[in-house]
Amino acid sequence: MFAFTYHRPSSVRKAAALAASVADGKLLAGGHTLIPTLKQRLAAPGDVIDLGGIPDLAGIELRGRTLSIGAMTRHAEVAASPVVKEAVPALAYLAGLIGDPAVRNRGTIGGSIANNDPSADYPAACLGLGATIITSQRRIEADDFFTGLFETALEPGEIITRIAFPAVKKAAYVKFANPASRYAMVGVFAAKRTADIRVAVTGASQSGVFRWTEAEEALKKRFAGRSLDGLSLPADDMISDLHGSGEYRAHLVGVIAQRAVEAAAG
Amino acid sequence: MALELTGSYELPVPREAVWEALNDPEMLKRCIPGCEELEKTSDNGFRASAVAKIGPVKARFKGSVELTDLDPPAGYRIAGQGDGGIAGFAKGGAVVKLEPSEAGTTLHYSVDAQIGGKLAQLGQRLVAGTAKKLADQFFEAFAKAVTEKAAA
Repeated sequence: MFAFTYHRPSSVRKAAALAASVADGKLLAGGHTLIPTLKQRLAAPGDVIDLGGIPDLAGIELRGRTLSIGAMTRHAEVAASPVVKEAVPALAYLAGLIGDPAVRNRGTIGGSIANNDPSADYPAACLGLGATIITSQRRIEADDFFTGLFETALEPGEIITRIAFPAVKKAAYVKFANPASRYAMVGVFAAKRTADIRVAVTGASQSGVFRWTEAEEALKKRFAGRSLDGLSLPADDMISDLHGSGEYRAHLVGVIAQRAVEAAAG
Repeated sequence: MALELTGSYELPVPREAVWEALNDPEMLKRCIPGCEELEKTSDNGFRASAVAKIGPVKARFKGSVELTDLDPPAGYRIAGQGDGGIAGFAKGGAVVKLEPSEAGTTLHYSVDAQIGGKLAQLGQRLVAGTAKKLADQFFEAFAKAVTEKAAA
């Protein structure tokens, strides 16, 4: 690793002030993307701002119909939380599928969302449930938050503090995982909350997570897997790599989406 | 690993104006994502440095760019190579063709590139998406810049 200055602020306000004052800083959450990148010397920030010492960023709570999860909450905590299991069972299930135990006990929901890796799981849940991302500056709807490959609406130095999910029972996540990395080759989060039907797809597109609007339209008539028969996505925008071609992923999205809808409707 | 990428853009300005912009180092520097330096070193050669920032990765590439097969105002080939130090290397080129169209000019591009080193090993699943994103960023900025210049 290159030398850098390490900071461990005790509040969001201090962290944001630090991030604004340094020229080339990086925020550190669980570190499961940033630390390997630093070790490989693929990034050399001058300052690393560790968010691990900020109590406000922790905790899971249900207020009315809104599930609020602190940005530094580990995947393992979300997976095991009785509150999450009760309010949004599909979200607890999704968290339990991320990576391996080491990843789940270090990686955080805020870090995953801020990074917006095109194969990450949490972005699909945020988009599929219509979550609200709360930051040090404002509230951002998930629909406006994920703007492309590794890109989000976050401004430099803006810090995610909490993620608010509506309590939705009719929701499911189905993931076709790469057997080595457990990253989603394709992951589909399907949810129905009264008239709001959402189908969010991760792992497949070169531009990152997206809503499959054509499928959502088809599901308005009847929320069942069979409603998606015959629907397909173009392969040219799909990730094509040694694990699978664009055509393979495009086909897989259709199959996995049907399973997710069946599971959600069940 | 090898990479191929093709596409086209509609620009609402005459072909001569697009050609002029494609040969203007200042204009190119403003539009190339992360470009820090683009200095003319010969008639058709440039020294270049750019910062590639993709998710957690941030690497500075230094290298050279050369324009060949010049056919004003119908197009050229732009080729270059860059060394990103420990991150890896990249080299490649793009054939750019300009055709008059109803709106102004249609710009066709066809990129072929080679990427090696750690970036290629670790970023295999991301390289194609990243290249497309950088190309889109460049052409969006370029379209905006030539349109503004033509209006001025």
